[in-house]
Amino acid sequence: MSWVGRSIRRVEDPTLLRGVGMFVGDIGGAAAVRFVRSPVASGLIGAVRGPAYTIEDLDADGVGNIEAVLHRPDYVRLAQPLLARERVRYVGEPVAVVVGDTAAEAEDLAEQVELDIEPGPAAVGIDGALAPGAPLVHPDESDSNVMVAGEMATPGLAEALDRAHAVVDLETVSGRQAALPLEARGSHAVTERFGGRTTLHASIQAPHMVRTVICDLLGMPEADLRVVAPDVGGAFGQKLPLAREDAIVVWLSRRLGRPVAWIEDRSENLMASWHSREQRYRLRGGFDAGAHLEALQADVVANVGAWPCYPITWGVEPLMALAELPGPYTPEHYGVRSRGVASHTCPMSPYRGVSRPAITLALERLMDIAAARLGIDPVEIRRRNLQSEFPHTSPTGLRHDEGTYREAMEMAVRHVDLGAFRSRQQTARAAGGSQPGIGICTFSERTGYGTPAFAARAMGVTPGYENVELSMDPSGYVTARIGASPHGQGLETALSQIVADEVGTDPGRVRVVASDTDRTPYGWGSFASRAMVLAGGATYLAAQQLATQLGSVAAEVLEAAADDIFLADGRATVAGTSVGVEIAELARIAHHHTQRLPDGAAPGLSAQAGYDPAGTFSNACHVAEVEVDPDTGGVSVRRFVVVEDAGRLINPMIADGQIRGGVAQGIANALLEEVVYDEDGNILTTSLMDYLPPTVAEIPDIEIMHLETLSDATVTGAKGLGEGGTIGAPAAVLNAVNDALAHLGVELNEMPATPERVREAVRTATGTPAG
Amino acid sequence: MKPARFAYAAPDSIEGVLDALDRFGDEAKVLSGGQSLVPMMNFRLARPEVIVDIGRVGGLDGMSVVNGSLTVGARVIHARLEAPAAAMPDGRTEPLGGVLGSLLPEVARFVGHLPIRARGTFGGSIAHADPAAEWCILARTLDAEMVALRRGGERVITAADFFETVFTTSLEPEELLAAVRLPILGDDWRAGFCEFSRRAGDFAVVAAMTAVRLDRATGAISEARIGVGGVAGVPVRLPDAEATLVGEVPGAELHAAAAEVAAGEVDPAGDLHGSAAYRRDLVRAMVARALAQGAGAPG
Repeated sequence: MSWVGRSIRRVEDPTLLRGVGMFVGDIGGAAAVRFVRSPVASGLIGAVRGPAYTIEDLDADGVGNIEAVLHRPDYVRLAQPLLARERVRYVGEPVAVVVGDTAAEAEDLAEQVELDIEPGPAAVGIDGALAPGAPLVHPDESDSNVMVAGEMATPGLAEALDRAHAVVDLETVSGRQAALPLEARGSHAVTERFGGRTTLHASIQAPHMVRTVICDLLGMPEADLRVVAPDVGGAFGQKLPLAREDAIVVWLSRRLGRPVAWIEDRSENLMASWHSREQRYRLRGGFDAGAHLEALQADVVANVGAWPCYPITWGVEPLMALAELPGPYTPEHYGVRSRGVASHTCPMSPYRGVSRPAITLALERLMDIAAARLGIDPVEIRRRNLQSEFPHTSPTGLRHDEGTYREAMEMAVRHVDLGAFRSRQQTARAAGGSQPGIGICTFSERTGYGTPAFAARAMGVTPGYENVELSMDPSGYVTARIGASPHGQGLETALSQIVADEVGTDPGRVRVVASDTDRTPYGWGSFASRAMVLAGGATYLAAQQLATQLGSVAAEVLEAAADDIFLADGRATVAGTSVGVEIAELARIAHHHTQRLPDGAAPGLSAQAGYDPAGTFSNACHVAEVEVDPDTGGVSVRRFVVVEDAGRLINPMIADGQIRGGVAQGIANALLEEVVYDEDGNILTTSLMDYLPPTVAEIPDIEIMHLETLSDATVTGAKGLGEGGTIGAPAAVLNAVNDALAHLGVELNEMPATPERVREAVRTATGTPAG
Repeated sequence: MKPARFAYAAPDSIEGVLDALDRFGDEAKVLSGGQSLVPMMNFRLARPEVIVDIGRVGGLDGMSVVNGSLTVGARVIHARLEAPAAAMPDGRTEPLGGVLGSLLPEVARFVGHLPIRARGTFGGSIAHADPAAEWCILARTLDAEMVALRRGGERVITAADFFETVFTTSLEPEELLAAVRLPILGDDWRAGFCEFSRRAGDFAVVAAMTAVRLDRATGAISEARIGVGGVAGVPVRLPDAEATLVGEVPGAELHAAAAEVAAGEVDPAGDLHGSAAYRRDLVRAMVARALAQGAGAPG
């Protein structure tokens, strides 16, 4: 019986659910670090006056600058100090740091620090940052706020648009969102009195990368820094880049010779951790008479904030949009300009989905609007446009492996019973009052990519591969040391299922060690829907090696041919016989009776494998059913259906959990969550009174179905799916809101579709004066 | 997000509380359920020198019906108003019936979330005076009376005089809000409450309460009250809209007409959760719906 494919319970959960996990804030025993942050968006720093031990200058100590680099001619290169130097560039930028015995005392000390800042003008939104004469965020390095600008067009684009049967133009806007992990960021550093080695515990996604960059900044050998991510209470990309604060915490522990900890509070997290998503798309789609999208032209602007993130850089959002915009569709002609524009706002990092929620919003609104214009059904227009021949090569050269774009949509539409919905909708329209609407979203999710995809981005640092080391101890238990850094995804459970199948043991006899640079091979961590494909693939390959080793020991012991040995249910058995031996006994022999091993066999049982695939595309269809109150603009999501194809499912329950969480974040993106700045760059959403994540009351049950098209691009057949929920849900909800109000002539292409925006759209469409 | 340093007093008697308030005056702040005060202290938006915790004081958490009023003790938690029971004049405790008995649960379910309703108190909400808080709107709409104690004295403040501006009441620093008296509405009253908030449990963007008294003979409205929160620094009554209703028989058209007047009568400021124009739209919708809700069977 195979363990892969079964919804076994997560080994991670008993610890977490009983509240006995260990998060950074649980470590204790450290002085409290508090950052003094800029109260203004833009300005020149004068004097910084504070109590003793106020630190505002790290240069004197030789601390380096962060350099997040893309090797592209259109990329503006910057050197970012750990504490703001000369200028502040966003509200919340750290300017100085104080250390107190308790968090309250540190906050008292921080209040006593006086910052002389001469405020300057601020560039805030996309338009503000692009306007002629806009205040420049990095005036010494660039004479515009455009920090990266990619452009491409296939030959014949203009002609294709000219000859199109119908041309649809639209503008979609995605508001700024914060990833809002339940646990905010935090770090805790201790430096040994003898030897001077430092251990950093931090709430992060990529411990090895963080160790490298902190050691680069502080000028220390990596061997002298151990980085551990203990339990991490959600990350979603916000904990992928280097946090300036974490580097300073390491520096402080070494400089002060005492343990120090920084536990980010919720206001800091909302104000000064990484934001995401603020993007604008202007699309032009040229359709032929058969409603096929022949040509797609786009102008994309991403507001990328005041500084790039390391090592991903602020190219990630605009350049992903450029590369992946055609999505699941098949335009022959494609042209795009995609820019990242700096502003005096909190910097951006990739957040679950990165640009794809905004890409998908633009494309899926385009499809619905085109369908209405051409007089066909939203399902039918997608039927005619979705990829159906594989492998498919996109206009930007991306290879899509086999997917089920059409099948997933047909399955979702059958499940919701579109016909019955339309008749309910007719009744509601006749009755007035709240209006039901339905929205479809189909999309592709590029996942599980290794070094080749990152190399194409020309990053200063090229992430990609994952390494796994497997060993079986004398008791027959397997330990997997992985470079990935799971933080809630259930990866430990899923990997144990893969190992169990290959080695013929039980997942309960597999332990996964992760997130500790002292105990794991170098790897890139968990992000970009990659861990199941990358760490899963490496684990699979290493487990096969381990199985081969066990087989050869068994062959020796059982006096059979190695090819005839089968590993299953904790035993090695000779094929076609009942002759066998316990795997645990083989493990004893391999360690304790090595004289019995075959000639030339190394003692012990261990294997190592790396995996570095090019990547795979999963696909899904989301359908949202909403109810919209035209009088208040209030939207409630009544039903949500997902049909997902992520290839081989290692543990379907875990896959469903990933989808559910992502859909909730996507619904939040569509309706609720928005980081808001005023025109001077003051952030208005610094508490959970004003930044509105959904509660359980705002999220319906999510109905999930799976297709399983095994990928030929990965060794396990699995595709990634960690981000899909956030990618599809926003467009599904926006399409549903538009569908609900279509009879009033409403067209709303901005998210979040707050009640006020919806009400405003109703007023505009119906010619009702304001108030 | 840690509070500034403060001293903490937890007297076990009313007298002890009043002494402390008398001694510390405006340096002191009363802590009841702490559901608003503690977060404000953590944000350092409130920095009281002295916290006077009334959690150990007996006698502040009763509900009783006396002289046609329901007296709600300051420390009654919100959750108890979801199924209100009160000591009757004969001394027995009974579920509160009638129009008020139906209205209170209808309103209570909008107050925060379950954990907040299990800790936060009715009196704490009234004294905190958030202009969008459900109990403040109810108190203003029904002309509740606030019973304030001070060392050696008591005074009764009407809702109209009690709420001064955002988070500000006419309570003196030495005074403790001990109880709130709500009028028991007779069976000829119809009350409704409607609220629009961004999420379940949030403060209202706009909420409206309506109470109309019907002439038993004609079915026409003889007295009308419309209270709205979220449109000013305090919950407001809308006399012009109320006047629209008096003398008329309830119905959809009348409700729409009153709601229209109500929308014109408010003068809201805009903020992050709604512009002035949007709040006016919401007043129109909430008032009409609250009236429609109250038009049905008693309560």
